[in-house]
Amino acid sequence: MPVASHDLHSHTPVEPHAPRRRVLAWLTSVGLFGSAVLSAVSNLVFIKPRATYGQPARFAIGKPDDFPSGTRISLDVKRVCIVRDGGKMAAISTTCTHLGCIVGISDTGFACPCHGSRFDQDGAVTGGPAPAPLPWFKLSLAPNGELEIDKNTLVKPGTYLNV
Amino acid sequence: MSTQTPEKGARSALREMPSNVWNSIFRNPLPSTDLERASTSFTNFFLHIHPVKVHKNTLRPIYTLGLGLISLFLFFILVATGILLMFYYVPSTTQAYDRMLDLRGTVAFGIFLRNMHRWSAHGMVAMVFLHMCRVFLTGAYKKPREFNWVLGVILLLVTLFLSFTGYLLPWDQLAFWAITVGSSIAGYAPLIGQQMKFVLLGDTTVGQEALLRFYVLHVAVLPAVLVLLIAIHFWRIRKDGGLSRPEQPKGETIVATMVLEPGKKRVYGFQGFIRGPFTKVGNVPDDSVYAWPNLLLAELFVFVLTVSLILLVSLAFNAPLEEPVNVMHPPNPAKAPWYFLGLQEMVSYSAFWGGIGIPGLMVALLLIVPYIDRGTKGVGRWFAKERLLANTLFLTLVVLNVIFIIIGTFFRGPNWTFVSPF
Amino acid sequence: MRLALALASFVVLIVHGVVFYDQFFHRWERHQTAYFEQARSLTKNEQDKAELEARSPRIEQTIVTSFGDTRVDRCTTCHIASDDPRFAGHARPLKSHPYSAAMGDVQRNGQWERRHKFADFGCTVCHDGQGRGLETKFSHGEDEFWPEPLAGYVTQATWRKDFAPKLKGKEYMEAACAQCHTAENFAGTPNVNRGRKLFYAMNCYGCHKIDGISEGTLGPDLTEAGKKFKIDYLWESVVEPRANSAASFMPKFNLPEADVRSLVIFLKSRRGVNFAETSLDRYKAHIENVAVVIPPGTAGEKAGEQLIVDRACTACHKLRDHDGGIAPDLSYEGLIRDNTWLMDHFKNPRSRVPDSIMPTFRFPADDFERITAYLATLKTPPPAMPPAETYKALCERCHGEKGDGEGKVAWYLDPSPRDLTKAAFMNSKPRERFVASIQEGVAGTSMPSWKNALKTEQVNAVLGYVLTAFTKEPARDLKPRNLPDTNPVAMSPASVKHGEEMFLDRCTGCHGRKADGKGPNSLDINPKPRNLRNTAFVASVNDRRLFDSVLYGVQGTAMPSWIDYGLSKNDVGDIVNFIRSINQKKGSQQNAGL
Repeated sequence: MPVASHDLHSHTPVEPHAPRRRVLAWLTSVGLFGSAVLSAVSNLVFIKPRATYGQPARFAIGKPDDFPSGTRISLDVKRVCIVRDGGKMAAISTTCTHLGCIVGISDTGFACPCHGSRFDQDGAVTGGPAPAPLPWFKLSLAPNGELEIDKNTLVKPGTYLNV
Repeated sequence: MSTQTPEKGARSALREMPSNVWNSIFRNPLPSTDLERASTSFTNFFLHIHPVKVHKNTLRPIYTLGLGLISLFLFFILVATGILLMFYYVPSTTQAYDRMLDLRGTVAFGIFLRNMHRWSAHGMVAMVFLHMCRVFLTGAYKKPREFNWVLGVILLLVTLFLSFTGYLLPWDQLAFWAITVGSSIAGYAPLIGQQMKFVLLGDTTVGQEALLRFYVLHVAVLPAVLVLLIAIHFWRIRKDGGLSRPEQPKGETIVATMVLEPGKKRVYGFQGFIRGPFTKVGNVPDDSVYAWPNLLLAELFVFVLTVSLILLVSLAFNAPLEEPVNVMHPPNPAKAPWYFLGLQEMVSYSAFWGGIGIPGLMVALLLIVPYIDRGTKGVGRWFAKERLLANTLFLTLVVLNVIFIIIGTFFRGPNWTFVSPF
Repeated sequence: MRLALALASFVVLIVHGVVFYDQFFHRWERHQTAYFEQARSLTKNEQDKAELEARSPRIEQTIVTSFGDTRVDRCTTCHIASDDPRFAGHARPLKSHPYSAAMGDVQRNGQWERRHKFADFGCTVCHDGQGRGLETKFSHGEDEFWPEPLAGYVTQATWRKDFAPKLKGKEYMEAACAQCHTAENFAGTPNVNRGRKLFYAMNCYGCHKIDGISEGTLGPDLTEAGKKFKIDYLWESVVEPRANSAASFMPKFNLPEADVRSLVIFLKSRRGVNFAETSLDRYKAHIENVAVVIPPGTAGEKAGEQLIVDRACTACHKLRDHDGGIAPDLSYEGLIRDNTWLMDHFKNPRSRVPDSIMPTFRFPADDFERITAYLATLKTPPPAMPPAETYKALCERCHGEKGDGEGKVAWYLDPSPRDLTKAAFMNSKPRERFVASIQEGVAGTSMPSWKNALKTEQVNAVLGYVLTAFTKEPARDLKPRNLPDTNPVAMSPASVKHGEEMFLDRCTGCHGRKADGKGPNSLDINPKPRNLRNTAFVASVNDRRLFDSVLYGVQGTAMPSWIDYGLSKNDVGDIVNFIRSINQKKGSQQNAGL
């Protein structure tokens, strides 16, 4: 049988459900919980990098005149192929959608040397194990007249930039 | 166990799931009786380091000033911020400084977390030092707490070493030359000094090897050692009977006595009414209160206060980042971190005595003091008259050390000549 | 307690909120948002408008590795319009980077094309500043701990206020151009070119080494001066040589501000990196002794007079209408120095004047001969003048207007010119000694022999003028002193040893442990203690004079009379033997080997 909760050493009587206590406990919890949430969120934001050190996703590749009409020029380091037909230009990814090798240009489009995937001129799959067509990157004309590719933005295949 | 049909069992399981989940995690209800308070303390993983009850003297703010707790919480803050900083820092002489610039420039909250880490580190060094002073001045190192005191001294040294190894990591002029000075002081130890310095730095001078070694020490080895020692330190607090407290004043003991109810003529064997604060009969009452919630609230309060203070300081002041390391160009003067400036000041008079001899002597004295001072009077009170000699000696050494640090900080200028700070 | 806890919890929540808020809403986000809005109003294409609307601020950076260390330049985060020609007229930071033919940009089909593309160069390789910073204070290098503030735009708080206005201006950027464009007369770096010419014309090349350009050893190596120091330090070092090094004997050239600026830009361009040269070039430049400096304008055979101009001797010396104000006047050199002296002095100035600060030039022997031949032709004696005028023409440059030894070039001479106002000294020596000094000169010092330039009457007239005008106090009869004519103590190892012991015991405080006059007390004494390793001088002084100086001291100087301190004649004889012994061996002449 527990002793009645009343001791003789000038402790205040313990009444577990005093309203004042509850308010204070609630305030404390709100304060601490809120701080914890803010703290957690800021730590998550902290570890998400805002600037990385690898190859940039957006880069310039030169002027439209550098790519004559009727050509398909592959920039292997950037893993992109620039096609130009008259006034229409596009940037097609040369990373094979199968397992990531760099596809080469063939007479009928693109061909991957690793497992034999074949793509047509527009990057649609015509053969081999590739599961998806080659994505098209957003190609735009920067204000200073240079062509800019943004690999983070994909456009529908068949979307051309008019220069 | 109910014998319902399986369907009903499934539905009721779903209905009861929230409370089942809750009760499987939290085995005891939120305490409202003393028994529950007691059992919470020793059945909860995180709480069972606390005793069920603590002496009320432990909770008196003026007694401990919460210094030990503040040190501990600063350590927690350091570990948390340190781990986060590790996501961006690279211990390479070519990359470290640039990473510090990135932390300051591009990383979200980077500058703030670094500030928190820096100021907590300085704070922890100061707080453990003050905690040591408190323990000494209240005579809390005496039997049976001698070994805990020794552990505390070792903890102090590990803390200093942690701060020292971390100081190098920004790899700026301040860091590089401070550690060059500090490690040179270490090299003056007789016989083993140069070997020690070589192993510590991984080379004859501070360079990539030193940076890597200091990094490993700072993020892995020393924190592990510290955690271990802190755990034992707390364990000993429990085993040594809790925090120290003044001796009981005579004549005020309230003993549980057996009382005969008026009207009752018979005492049934051992049964009787007990009037008094506890059911324990014959024991000396111990002026204690339950850990839940009193101790925990106090700890929480200290924690919240510490965090607030560190946040505010980190908002207001930026941790320093000076020029990138230039091994050809020491700043004039090149100063060790502030907690070693007292040493550096003494070293300017004599390399061995200032760097190794006197500090070594002081540490040895600290370690041995509980075994020399065997008097039992004056424990649990600040500046007890019975301990006048011990307190005076201790305070003298402390004040001297502080004076040297002040001289080294403010009164020494280029070429270590005296300058006026005004 | 619970109340305190509740309050504290709320406080901590608020502080967390403040921290949270503080870390967002950066200034660069506002700049970018402003750019998006303005670009939207400038564009006519609906699709572009939509894209700009959807764009949110983010950190823009260029990573460049072709210039040594990895450079991460985030300047375009705020200066996001730098490559958008439509923003040419906007206010900073949204102003586009200018195009100019001077920077190699070309116009094609009405549109400018940048020669130095940002993707290839970044920003900081030309502009300096801190690429990784994202706040103005850090990225522009205003923080005094950053070693490379934005060249020509930013001065740091710790820089001297009187220099700060001089250190601003786009021309300071030329120092960065020169990291690649190293050609001597590259059109884009006029200040660097001018600074290089000044480096020769002011004879900096004589004392300072720059890999591939010069090989002076008296002053610090400036090959990486631009990398080590900021422009305020370089400026200060040029105009106030002793500001950072009290012991420096670099002359103060008093150059006009435009010259200093060009020099500073030239020095700042010396960063120890030259992206245009190959590793082999660099290595060769480092190990090669650039024995011959080819300053612009010289080629092949030149007459001695032309060589003096080309080699910038008058950056320090005086000749005709050029006067550097630092070294002696060469106008009568044919009269006051002989050819042997001149050739020896050329090959190594310190072989004749041990404490000279003249650099050792390593010209071909041919050039020295030509210059010597030319100087030997300067034989026209000064016209007959009253003694005061003679003093002014010949002596004032060193001995000073007031005869106090503070002439224009006196600070640069060691030993210093005699202070003729010190009556205590002047009246303690027989007049004959002064006449001899003027006529024969003082060996081992800058005092030449004037006997071929001045007739004896002139010499006496000038001496009389000096004694009345400067010394003023009339001479008193000198008490005869008991001095031997030659050293009574025979030279012997024992004597020398004893002399050395006594020397080390008593004399090193002023004369130094090496007897070179550089003892610790020498800094506070005027005139400085004698350099006893100056063999030419010591050889020219007879034993009697040595005994006189030691036993009876030198009045008007700090040399005490040691007879008062108990030194006997034999002691002094041992000391004299010691002094002779350190000047006996061939090559014992101090600094003769340099």
